Amino acid sequence: MRLFVWFSLRHNWRHRRRLLAVLVGLSLGAAVFTSVRLAIDASLDSFNRGMDAVSGGVDWTVMQPGGRLPEALVARLLRQPTVRTAAPVLASYVEATADPGRSFLLIGFDPILDRPLRPWDRSPGGRGRDDGASLDWMELIRTPYTLIAGPRLSAAWGIGPGQSVTLEHLQGNRRFKLIGTLPDSGLALMDGGLVAVTDIATMQEFCRLQGWVDRIDLKLRPGAGADAPAALRRVLPPGVELVPPNAARDTGNLMIQAYQLNLSVLSFVSLFVGMFLVYSLIALNAASRRRELAILSSIGASPRTLFALFVGEGALLGTCGWLAGIPLGAFMVRRLLGGVSATISLLFARVRPDRLTLSPKELLLSFLVTVGVAVLAAYQPAREAMAVAPREAMEQGPASARRPRLITALAWSALALIGLVWPLCRLPSLAGVPLFGYLAIFSLFAGFALVAPAALRLLGRVPAPVLRRLGGQPAFLAGRAIRDAGAKTAISVGALITAVALFVALVVMVNSFRGTVAAWVDQTVSGDLFVRAAKAGDNEYRDPLPEAVVNGLKGWSDQVDLLPYRRFHLNYGSRPYQFEVLDFEVFFRHGRFLMLDGEQEAITEPLARGEGVLVSEVFANQTGLGVGDRFQTQVEGEALDLPILGRFRDYRTRGGVVYYALQHFQQPGASDRWGGVRLFFKDRAEDLDGRTEQLRRRVLDEVARGYQLEVTSGMALRREILRIFDQTFAITTVLLLIALIIAALGISTTLMVLVLERRTQLNTLLAIGAAKSQVRRMLLWEALLIVIAGSLLGLLCGLVLAVILIEVINRQSFGWTFLFLVDWPALLAAFPIIVGAALTAVLPAVRSAFTVPPAMLLREE
Amino acid sequence: MNRSRCRRAGRGAWARWGLAAALALLWGLGRWPLPAPPELRGAEYPRINGPCNQEFPRDHGPHQDFKTEWWYYTGNLESAEGRRFGFQITFFRSRMSPEQIQPDPSEPLSGWRTQQIYLAHAALSDLTKGAFHQDERMARGALDLAGARLDDDTTRVFLADWELNLGPEHHRVRATASDFALELTLLPEKPPVRHGRAGTSQKGERPESASCYYSFTRLRASGRVSEAGVAREVSGSAWMDHEYSSAPLEPDLVGWDWFSLQLSDRGEVMIYLLRNREGAYTAASAGTLVAPSGQVTGLTRGEIEIETRGTWQSPRTGGRYPARWRITLPGQGLDLLVTPNLADQEMVNEESGLPAYWEGSVNIVGTRRGRELTGLGYVELTGYARAFDAPL
Repeated sequence: MRLFVWFSLRHNWRHRRRLLAVLVGLSLGAAVFTSVRLAIDASLDSFNRGMDAVSGGVDWTVMQPGGRLPEALVARLLRQPTVRTAAPVLASYVEATADPGRSFLLIGFDPILDRPLRPWDRSPGGRGRDDGASLDWMELIRTPYTLIAGPRLSAAWGIGPGQSVTLEHLQGNRRFKLIGTLPDSGLALMDGGLVAVTDIATMQEFCRLQGWVDRIDLKLRPGAGADAPAALRRVLPPGVELVPPNAARDTGNLMIQAYQLNLSVLSFVSLFVGMFLVYSLIALNAASRRRELAILSSIGASPRTLFALFVGEGALLGTCGWLAGIPLGAFMVRRLLGGVSATISLLFARVRPDRLTLSPKELLLSFLVTVGVAVLAAYQPAREAMAVAPREAMEQGPASARRPRLITALAWSALALIGLVWPLCRLPSLAGVPLFGYLAIFSLFAGFALVAPAALRLLGRVPAPVLRRLGGQPAFLAGRAIRDAGAKTAISVGALITAVALFVALVVMVNSFRGTVAAWVDQTVSGDLFVRAAKAGDNEYRDPLPEAVVNGLKGWSDQVDLLPYRRFHLNYGSRPYQFEVLDFEVFFRHGRFLMLDGEQEAITEPLARGEGVLVSEVFANQTGLGVGDRFQTQVEGEALDLPILGRFRDYRTRGGVVYYALQHFQQPGASDRWGGVRLFFKDRAEDLDGRTEQLRRRVLDEVARGYQLEVTSGMALRREILRIFDQTFAITTVLLLIALIIAALGISTTLMVLVLERRTQLNTLLAIGAAKSQVRRMLLWEALLIVIAGSLLGLLCGLVLAVILIEVINRQSFGWTFLFLVDWPALLAAFPIIVGAALTAVLPAVRSAFTVPPAMLLREE
Repeated sequence: MNRSRCRRAGRGAWARWGLAAALALLWGLGRWPLPAPPELRGAEYPRINGPCNQEFPRDHGPHQDFKTEWWYYTGNLESAEGRRFGFQITFFRSRMSPEQIQPDPSEPLSGWRTQQIYLAHAALSDLTKGAFHQDERMARGALDLAGARLDDDTTRVFLADWELNLGPEHHRVRATASDFALELTLLPEKPPVRHGRAGTSQKGERPESASCYYSFTRLRASGRVSEAGVAREVSGSAWMDHEYSSAPLEPDLVGWDWFSLQLSDRGEVMIYLLRNREGAYTAASAGTLVAPSGQVTGLTRGEIEIETRGTWQSPRTGGRYPARWRITLPGQGLDLLVTPNLADQEMVNEESGLPAYWEGSVNIVGTRRGRELTGLGYVELTGYARAFDAPL
C-alpha cells in the first residue's frame, strides 16, 4: 500500500491536470450510465405500481379485443359457482375545463363488487375513524356525478371535498362534485396520482355508454379448481376472452426492460470511450516510468507487485470516477427522467414517474461497471509493466521499439473482428434486446482500433516524398514517426476512431430517420384535416365519432373526400399492435404506403375488395409474419383470417399496424362507426392552408358543436408527429453526444501521451540543432496525419455503425428500419472542424514537450 | 357475571330490527352511530304510523320505499347419520336515499343506477365436528345482480346465486359459499306471527320508532347442506323473520341480545334485549311467546328475567360475548337454561366491513310450569366486538 501511495498516487498528483481529464471522462460515463438506468427504473416503478393498483387481487379479466362488453355479463358471471366477484370497469382519459392539458384517467367502477379486489381504504386514518375525514364510497352510488380524486389531481385542481369541477368528454361537459381524496396508496398510485374514480352508473351516463363496460375483473373462490377458467370460458359469448390480469403487466415490463437494456448499452458507450482515457493515462505512466519499474524490479519487486500497482491505479481511477459520477448522475437523472418517461409512454406504455429511488442494486451495478471498465483498461499496460526486466534500469534509449510482426498480427486480428460483425448482425435479438448487434458494434470498434497501426504505417510509408514536398523536413519526419510508432498507437487512435464513428453514425442515423419519417408522414399520414374524438389517442379510439358528426360530414362530400377509419388496439400473442380499417379507395387517391414488400399498384384492388391485409414493418418484425402468410385475429367478436398482401414502412408508436378495408369490416347496413376521419379537398388548386383553416372552423361550428372533438389540420398533425419522433430520439442523441465529449477528451489525452512518450526523442532533436518551431511543426504534422487516419477510419467505421444501428439495433429494438440517407454536406462541413479541434487539442501536448530543459532531460536519460 | 331482571310484561319486540337498522345506517349514512336526527333523513321515507296488519302473501314481498328490510332464516338440522348443523341465511335490503334519481331527464339512466343495495350473510355451524363456516355477499339491486320481487303469490329475493323463494306452500333457500352450501325447503308448521301490535313493533318512546315485523316461528326444514364438498341430506326445524322500517335505532344503543327459542313442547319464544352504553338492557327490550297451541303473547322487558352464566372471548376480534344464559319468564312458568352448541360462531364480515357479531345455534333445557322440556334455538349478540362504525 505504501508503495502504491509513493509510486502511483504521488506521480498522478504531480500530473493532476491529466488525471482530472481522465476522471471527468470516467465520471461522465458513470453518471450517464447510472442516471439512464435510474430514470428507467422510475418509469418501470410507476408502470408496475399502476398495474398492481389496477390488477389488485384480480385472478382473471374478461374483455373483448378491440371492443367493450355488455354489462349483463356481470350478473351471468356472478352466478357462476367458482366466481367470488365480478367487478366491471369503464375508464377514460378526460380533462377538467379549468385545467386544460392535464388529462387524467377517470375510472368508473362498482364500489361494492370491487371490494374483494382492491384495497379501498376509506380514509388516510384507516378503519374505525369517525371524525368526518372518512371517505364514503357509497356516496358515489347514492349521488350521481360525484367523484373521488387522487391527491395530485385534487391538488392540481385546487379544490376540496364538496367543491365542483367540470369535466370534458366527447359527448359534452359535465359538472362533478368532489367528495374526497383517494388515500395515497392503491389506485392513487396510478398515473402518478392523476386519477379519479366514480360510480359505474355515473361513468356510463357521462360517456353515454349505457349498457357497456370496458372489462370485468374476476376473483375466484378459494376452492375453485384448475378447470374453473375453462368452465368460465364456456359461459362467455363468442369473441369475449378470459385473460390473466398480469398479461399486460408482463408484456409492458418486458418491453420497458428491453428498452432499459438498450439505453444501458448506449450509455455504456460513454464508459467504453472512457476506457481509452484510462488506458492512455496508465499506458503513459507505464511507458514513461519503465526505468523506475526496472529499478523497482531490480530491488525485489515481483512482477505481480508491478502488475498490481497499475491495476490498482485503474481501480482507484474507476472508484474516484464513480464517486464523482454519482452526484453528477443525481443531477442528470432529473433532466433525463422527463425524456425517458415520455419516450416509454410513446413507445410502450403510459407512465408518469413521480419518485426516484437510488437502489443499492443500481449503485452496486454502476460501481462494478465503472471500476470494471477502468481495471480492464489498466490491464494491458499493467501486463507490459510486469514484463519490464531489471536490466532496463541500466539501459539507455527509447523504451518502445517498432514491432512489425505485432502490427501485422494486430491487423489480422482487426480483420477477424471486423469480419465477425456481419455474422453477429445476422443473429436474432434475445428477448427484444439486440445483444448480438451491440456485440457487433464493440467488435467493430475494437477491429478498427486494432487496424489503426497498420493504417498509420501505410500512411507514413507511402506519401513520404509528398509529405516532404508539402511540409519539408518536419512533415517527412512526422511521416516516419507515424510509420514507426508501432502498435502503441492502436488504442490511442482508437479513441479518435470511436469519436468520429459515433459522430458519423449519429448524423447518418438522425438524417435517415428524419428523412424516412418525413416521407412516411407526407405520403401515408396524408390529409388536409383530421377529425377524431378528444383524447382518442389516450383512449385507444374506443369512442367512435357521434352519429350526428358522421352525418354532418357526409353532407359535405361534394367538396371534400372523406377517409373514415377505425382503430383497434389488439394483441398478437402478447405483442400489442393496432388494427386499422380504412377506405382504401379514398386513401390511394390521396396517399400511398412506403412499401417494403409487394407492389402497391398490384395490391390496391385486392385490398379495396377486402381480400387481404397490409402489415407494417414493425408488425412483421415483431411477429415474424410476412407477405404470403395468413393474418388471423378476432375483432369485436368477428374472426378474421386473411392473407398478407404487402409490408410497408410505418413509424406509429406502441406496436405495429395492420390495415384492412373498412367496407368489408363493417356489417352491411349497420350504422357507420368511425373512429376518426381524414378530409381531403377535392379541389386542391389554391391556398390550401387558408382553406384548411376555414374548413376547420366550419367543422367546429357546424358539426362538432356540443361534442369534444380534436379537429387538426394535416400540416399541424405532421409537424406534431415529427416533434414526437424527435423526442423519442432525444435520449439516444444525448447519450451519443456525451460519448462524443468523452471521446474528445480521449483525443486530447491520446495526443498528449504520444508526445510525452517521445519527449526524450524530441529533446534530442533540439539538442542536435532543430529549432523548436521545426519540432512543433513536426508534431502538428504528426497530429494531422493521425487525425486524418483516425477520421478516415472513423468515417468508414461510422458508416458501418450507422448501418448496424438502423438495420440491426433499430429493427430488433423497435421493429422499424430507415432508408439509409447520408447527410454528406453535414459530414463534409464537420471534418475541418474535427481536424481543427484535434489539432487544437495537440497544442498543450506540444507545449508540454518543452517544459523540461533538454539538457536536464537528456542528462536524466 | 352480568345479570339483569325484566319485571314487567308488555308487547313489541324489535331485537332483530336492530341489525337491520344498523345496516340502514351503514348504507344510508356511511357511518355509525349517526347523529343526524331521524326527522331530517327519515322524514322522506314512508313512516309507520299505525298497525301494519300485514297481509300475505303481499307482505312477504319487498317494501322498496322503506329504508330497510330483511328476510332472515335460522335453524337446527341433523343428517341421517346424526351429524348436527346450525344455519343462518339473511338477505338485507337497504335504500340509500328516498329520492328518485334522475340526473338528466333527456338522457337514459344507466342500468347500474339504483338506490337499492342488498347484502346477504350465510353461516353453517357443524355442531358435531365443531366447525363454523361463514360468507357474505353484496350487490346493488340492479341488472339482475340482486333484487326482491313478488310475482303472483311467490316472493323471490336473490343476490347473485344466493336465493330465497317464499311461496304459498313452502320457502326455499339456496346459497353456495366459499366452503359450504345450503339448499333447504322449509314448510311452515304454524302461521306467521305478527309481533307487537298487529305486526307493528314499537321500538321506543317516539311514535315513529316502529317497524313492521312478523315471523314464521316453526318451519320444518329438509334439504341438503354441503361442507368442504361433501353433501348431506338433512332435516330439522327453522325460524324466519321479515321486518321493514325507515326509522333508525335510538342513538344511545351499543348492541343487543336476541333469542329465538323452539321448545320441545312446540312452544316458541322470541326475546330481544337492547343494551345501552352502560351495558344495561333498556325499557324497549321485549319479546313474544307463542304457545304450543299457536296463541301469541307479547312480552315486555319487565316480564323477562335473564342471567348470564358464562362468557367467550373471540381470538379474532377480542370481543367478549356472553355464552350461557338462564332465562326465566315468571308469568309463563318458563325457566330455561340456554347454552351455545358451539363456542365460536362469530360472524366476522371483513369484506363488507360490518361490525362482527355472534350468531349461533343454542341448546335449551328447562321447565314449563314444572314439566321438563328441551329445545333448540338461535342467539344473536351484537356490539361486543367493537362499537359500530362505518365500513364504507
